[in-house]
Amino acid sequence: MKLRGWLFDIYPAGQDGAAIWLIGEDGKRYQFLQPFPLTFYAAGPLHRLRDLWRFLSRQDKPPMLSRTERRDLFQSGPIPVMGITVGDQESLQGIFLKTQSSFPDLDYYDVDLNLALRYSARYQTFPLALCDLETEGRQIKAVTPLETPWEMDSALPPLRILRLEPDSDPNHSQPARLEIQYGRASYTLPLDPARPLLMDLNAILKQYDPDLILTRWGDTWLMPHLFKLSRDANIPILFNRDRSQEVAILDERSYFSYGQIVYRGQQVHFFGRWHIDSNNALLYQDFELDGIYETARVTRLPVQTSARVSPGTGISSMQIITALQQGILVPWRKQQGERFKTALDLIHRDQGGLVYQPLVGVHENVAELDFVSMYPGLMVRFNISPETAGETAGDPENLAPFPGDTPGLVPQTLAPLLEKRLKLKTRIRTLSKWDIRLKSDQARATAHKWLLVTCFGYLGYKNARFGRIEAHEAVTAYGREALLRAKESAEGLDCTVLQLYVDGLWIKHAGWKNPGDFVPVLDAIIGNTRLPIVLEGVYRWIAFLPSRQDQRVPVPNRYFGVFQDGTIKVRGVEARRRDTAQFISRAQMEILEILARAQNAIELPNYLPLVKELIRERSMDLKAGRIPLEDLIISQRLGRELEGYKKPSPAARAAHQLIQTGKQVKPGQRVRFLLTRGLPGVHAWDSQVPLDMRSLNIPLYSELLKRAIHAILQPLGLSQHAIFQASLFK
Amino acid sequence: MGRTIPSITLAFLEEQDSLKRFRRALRKADQQALDDLLAAARQHLAPAGYAAYPLPLETFLLAMLLEEHKEVMRLRTMVESRDRE
Repeated sequence: MKLRGWLFDIYPAGQDGAAIWLIGEDGKRYQFLQPFPLTFYAAGPLHRLRDLWRFLSRQDKPPMLSRTERRDLFQSGPIPVMGITVGDQESLQGIFLKTQSSFPDLDYYDVDLNLALRYSARYQTFPLALCDLETEGRQIKAVTPLETPWEMDSALPPLRILRLEPDSDPNHSQPARLEIQYGRASYTLPLDPARPLLMDLNAILKQYDPDLILTRWGDTWLMPHLFKLSRDANIPILFNRDRSQEVAILDERSYFSYGQIVYRGQQVHFFGRWHIDSNNALLYQDFELDGIYETARVTRLPVQTSARVSPGTGISSMQIITALQQGILVPWRKQQGERFKTALDLIHRDQGGLVYQPLVGVHENVAELDFVSMYPGLMVRFNISPETAGETAGDPENLAPFPGDTPGLVPQTLAPLLEKRLKLKTRIRTLSKWDIRLKSDQARATAHKWLLVTCFGYLGYKNARFGRIEAHEAVTAYGREALLRAKESAEGLDCTVLQLYVDGLWIKHAGWKNPGDFVPVLDAIIGNTRLPIVLEGVYRWIAFLPSRQDQRVPVPNRYFGVFQDGTIKVRGVEARRRDTAQFISRAQMEILEILARAQNAIELPNYLPLVKELIRERSMDLKAGRIPLEDLIISQRLGRELEGYKKPSPAARAAHQLIQTGKQVKPGQRVRFLLTRGLPGVHAWDSQVPLDMRSLNIPLYSELLKRAIHAILQPLGLSQHAIFQASLFK
Repeated sequence: MGRTIPSITLAFLEEQDSLKRFRRALRKADQQALDDLLAAARQHLAPAGYAAYPLPLETFLLAMLLEEHKEVMRLRTMVESRDRE
């Protein structure tokens, strides 16, 4: 039978190989099976490989063995390897464990790879790809993808989406009902008693047969709760379309990423159907479902996985695909140390991006120029990859590419992603705000942004399979050169450079205020660097802020300003921080919105009476208890295990309260609390212990508000004293 | 990921910290002047980092001198324009 449709899901199906789900163009959902042999490789001294051959041949079910040559990215030429081929994922894990424990001295490759990635690499498919299938019964005979992940406009299948949500945040109060929505239909089911709930839920699942169940708190509360009810009542819930599989529950975990501890909640994955918990999906707030689909398509990770993993895993998956397609080995455990360097060499190379201290104060008609996706762009343009930039430092001062007959693995992986992002960004600029493509284009461009941002970090991450610190250092060296050339180009045209920040510069020039005035600078920079740079916009005015501790000290990337179209841009102040109470963020933004009405810096003082009035009102609201408690919540990440604190932070004290009420708190998890008077000074929002309203620490909230307001008004030459004299803070 | 060499900001803070005893022994007015010099040096951390000298204090001292010279130039211009009036 010939069939056309969208690839929906791929996962291991025991001895049957791979289970493949397809949404047919005819609207039907199909499940097929496909034998899918898997190969991993062993490398080492030839006599040890011969021993391994004999060892594997003696097994009860001996795998298929072969001698071949493959390329290890960290070695110069192809190396002899032994291919060990088995029928399915489970057998691979079993045989590998035996092999590795008996031959720990050998190097292993292509061991722990996601089946969906292997499948994508072999057939050039990807999640939601439109494909032609040739099938015989339940077996797939041939797969032909009809598109690549790099198409600008792909028709997605008409997905059926069912939303499930408890009627309250289970961290804060016990939910009583389950709210269900499918299209325009909505249902509310009481969570108790269980029997009618489960039966109704099964009836709804049967009626709509959704492809995606989109939940809130699904991974961490709703699904575990429903499974418990199901077990107790002995009524199975029909979440899996594939009834031969059990729902997969992946444990919660805490891990370090970019110097801070991150918590990922437990995950619940379905088979033949997707489950996405918007509260546990990374970056869901940033790009919603469009971004998740796009991440899955370009990383080739299954949708349920791509929704929950970090962009780092995404970029790593893309590199694995490139490697598999080119016969490059994917190391199981990488053993690539840093190359020997002299101390002086190390001092020169171990640097980050260029970050200048800005010229503090309010400036008018300032242009912000940004290199487009600078770091990934440098990798592609100058062929920076572990295998090219590993041995030599390159020639950043002349912006000369690393030599190589073909682009390295990293540039090859990034080039199509970068190109697609550029096309999307270009199109976004031309779309009107009513264009239906705008939201999807923005979400997809954001998804690409996170992958591209992370690819730089992963290049230097020692555990990344294709990471190498020298390549990471080369990127920053080329980046510093490009930014310095940009500075010199701007200064060559008599511009004043106010700030340089890794991939952007803020400049002004007497008499220039229209975007067109700055075009010669852009042209000069492009001429000097051969890298794309764009004008982000021209600020009517912008204020670069000093350090809070010492007014004489400028702080990079702490500023606010208003573009000519009235858009406000804020960096490094309270409103941008996730641990600021909503009430304070909002007050800061309200003040900025008033100031944004000023057409130039001279007009700014004209708006101070309005600002003072606003401060007075907000201060009164706070003192009179008119601020909803939700807006006073502070949310902070728990940095370590509670026992690890010598002086417990407010988050640690709030976590302690939660533990006392029987809740669990893990490092990396965010803890929500209110500030209270006396000890312990906090009230854990989710402790479900009633709060005595008189205990709220209003003076401390006032102080935080004062600080946030002062950060904004200080560049206008107003001291805290002057501002607060006029308000009711005194 | 991670850096082997401390960033230029950290190197500056270490140098500043190493001056703690010197600063403490200065008269109060001189302490203020030293703080001004250090704040001036801090404005040029990026060039100091880019230069990557084995002894970063050299570039911090040069940055102080640079800011002092700018101040001299500013005052000289002011005096000269007043003289012209």
